[in-house]
Amino acid sequence: MQKNSLLALALVTSLVFFGPAAQATAADTIKIGAYLPMTGAVAAYGEMENAGIEIARSMEPEVLGKKIEVILVDTKSDKIEAANAVTLLVEKEKVVGILGEAISGNTMAGNPISEAAKIPSVSPTATNPLVNQGKQYAFRACFIDPFQGEVAARFALNELKAKTAAVIIDIAQDYCVGLGNFFVKEFVKNGGKIVSTTYIQTGDQDFSAQLSAVQAANPDVIYAPNYYTEDALMAKQARDLGIKAPILTGDGAQADALIEIGGAAVEGMYFTGHFHKDAATTERSKQYIKLYEEKFKKEADAFGALGADAYFLLVDAIKRAASTDGTKIRDALQDTKDFQGVSGIITMGEDGNPIKSMVINKVQDGKFVYVTTVNP
Amino acid sequence: MSKERRNLLLNIMGILVLFVILYLFNEYGTDYQIRILNNMAVFITLAVSYNLVNGICGILHLGPNAFITIGAYTSALLTMSAAEKQMTYIIVPLVWPLNVLHTPFVVSLLLGGLMAAVFAFAISFPVFRVRGDYLAIVTLGFGEVIRVLANALQGVTNGPLGLKGLVPYTNLWWSWGVAVLTIIAITKLINSSYGRAMKSIREDEIAARAMGIDPFKHLLMAFLISAFFCGVAGGLLAHLITTISPTLFTFFLTFNLLIIIVVGGLGSTTGAVIGAALFAWGGEALRIVERPTDLGFLKIPGIPGMRMVIFSIILMLVIIFARRGIMGRSEFSWDWLLSKLGWKEKGF
Repeated sequence: MQKNSLLALALVTSLVFFGPAAQATAADTIKIGAYLPMTGAVAAYGEMENAGIEIARSMEPEVLGKKIEVILVDTKSDKIEAANAVTLLVEKEKVVGILGEAISGNTMAGNPISEAAKIPSVSPTATNPLVNQGKQYAFRACFIDPFQGEVAARFALNELKAKTAAVIIDIAQDYCVGLGNFFVKEFVKNGGKIVSTTYIQTGDQDFSAQLSAVQAANPDVIYAPNYYTEDALMAKQARDLGIKAPILTGDGAQADALIEIGGAAVEGMYFTGHFHKDAATTERSKQYIKLYEEKFKKEADAFGALGADAYFLLVDAIKRAASTDGTKIRDALQDTKDFQGVSGIITMGEDGNPIKSMVINKVQDGKFVYVTTVNP
Repeated sequence: MSKERRNLLLNIMGILVLFVILYLFNEYGTDYQIRILNNMAVFITLAVSYNLVNGICGILHLGPNAFITIGAYTSALLTMSAAEKQMTYIIVPLVWPLNVLHTPFVVSLLLGGLMAAVFAFAISFPVFRVRGDYLAIVTLGFGEVIRVLANALQGVTNGPLGLKGLVPYTNLWWSWGVAVLTIIAITKLINSSYGRAMKSIREDEIAARAMGIDPFKHLLMAFLISAFFCGVAGGLLAHLITTISPTLFTFFLTFNLLIIIVVGGLGSTTGAVIGAALFAWGGEALRIVERPTDLGFLKIPGIPGMRMVIFSIILMLVIIFARRGIMGRSEFSWDWLLSKLGWKEKGF
């Protein structure tokens, strides 16, 4: 009996799934697909970016005289699901452009599919340099890891007057490995010296082995481009050991939890990042921050801002292309010049990687404060 | 006609029907349907081979993700073009001879499977010195070791940056061909004297030993065969999604496989097939519940994660009402189907 009812259930669901796709596309809307990690390991990124996209859509709900419909598909923070999601968006939903994914690995699973279908995609935060390599239809709203590593190296040399640096890299994250390696290259090229290179893993709690190597090398600056949990714990242990060198890190550490965990130990930590609300210069970003804070009752974050920029870039390209044809939108995206985005002024460079300015922030009195802007 | 010949004929016909259906999907189906069918076949291969160790031998082994990782990386490194390799390894160049090696897809799959089996052989000695929970922990540990190595050996795996740009070789023929071959091979094994020995070890290892069965030899055999097919499936998976990185092969993958075989029925190949098929396609079919729906009088906003809730409820219902999984330990057989259809057994 149970077997029969299960079989029946399977049959009914298979009819739903394999049956003809409902062609309920209203002619007066333009569909944009968004595939984001709304559940799973990195659900927080997906949620923040989706919030940004939502605000962006409320600011520009129409293009070419038609309403824009954003179709959100969850990827469970997983590659297999990401590939499924993009196929679904391309085939069943017939979207004209795609936003996502938040994580580089998943974007690499998704964008060969949109590439083959000649549908442009804009990822808000996939920073791994491999993501767009050799792709015609893949773009992103963020700058890539090598650029962030290089800017950090120049900042350490010129602003912090560091001559020696110790690098601590989380080997389990593509983002950390990318930043760390390009920092080293640039730092050494400009006359700096790397006195210690040590590795950690996501989830590590104890960094005494790495930190004693750092202490022995006595560097002018510690570059630790890791995520906030590891950085906060590491900073605490470093200060306990009496290491006084300033700590420089990337945008992955810039989360409120860093200050909650790190407390006084993260005071004076420097960050390279995509966005700070005090650095907002464009009209669009001011309006975005106002709407965001009204709606969500919290400070606008970088993930949301980049999600919004991905949306704005795509919509702007559709507008300039005056068409929903994938190839024309792609050409328009590639031609993006001095676009007044939320996270800054964006010009699309080669391989669909934007050229844009970077902000440097710092922890001061338990808050993230804006220090300066570095132009490319 | 004897029963054996009839069943053989029906088996061949069944496979032919399957491939006709696949042909129809290949010709007239959408890419989305084809992708899900491919996922299904890969998961069937994984679940059936995983079930050989966990279900038939009764060993709680938690490291198939290690074998899948090895298979996927081996096969991916063998089919990537030299130009793609040079572009991808931006931090540490790929070590010799992997940077120049290039083999056809089928060879890369076989070598992926073999590499996984070699690794399984190497770890089998410590693994089979213990049983039960301890074996689970040891295999879990090896699964993590491989994932950590995949992150650390940047000159081989490109570390956490992952590999990309694999040629999408995996199509319906490859994925389902391998799935069918796996099912045939493993069913043959289970129904042989080796398979019966494996089941006797599952039921009572001491009694089996008293009957002259060498547990190590039989468990090793199951472990190696399972690892081989997991490795091949890993290669298929890599060439299906065209990019791999260590995050794909976390313990979560093992966990999914465990759910599949428990829901299908631990110890049943049919159950593993049904579980894998339900898993691969159920997740996509349930996407409907996450879409915002407008019922006219009521607007329901889409809630991401809703399908996981429903999926979990279905799992719980299965475990409550069918405590040993959908199939228990029974297998599909033509005799059963024919008797259901009212076929009267003729005397011979």
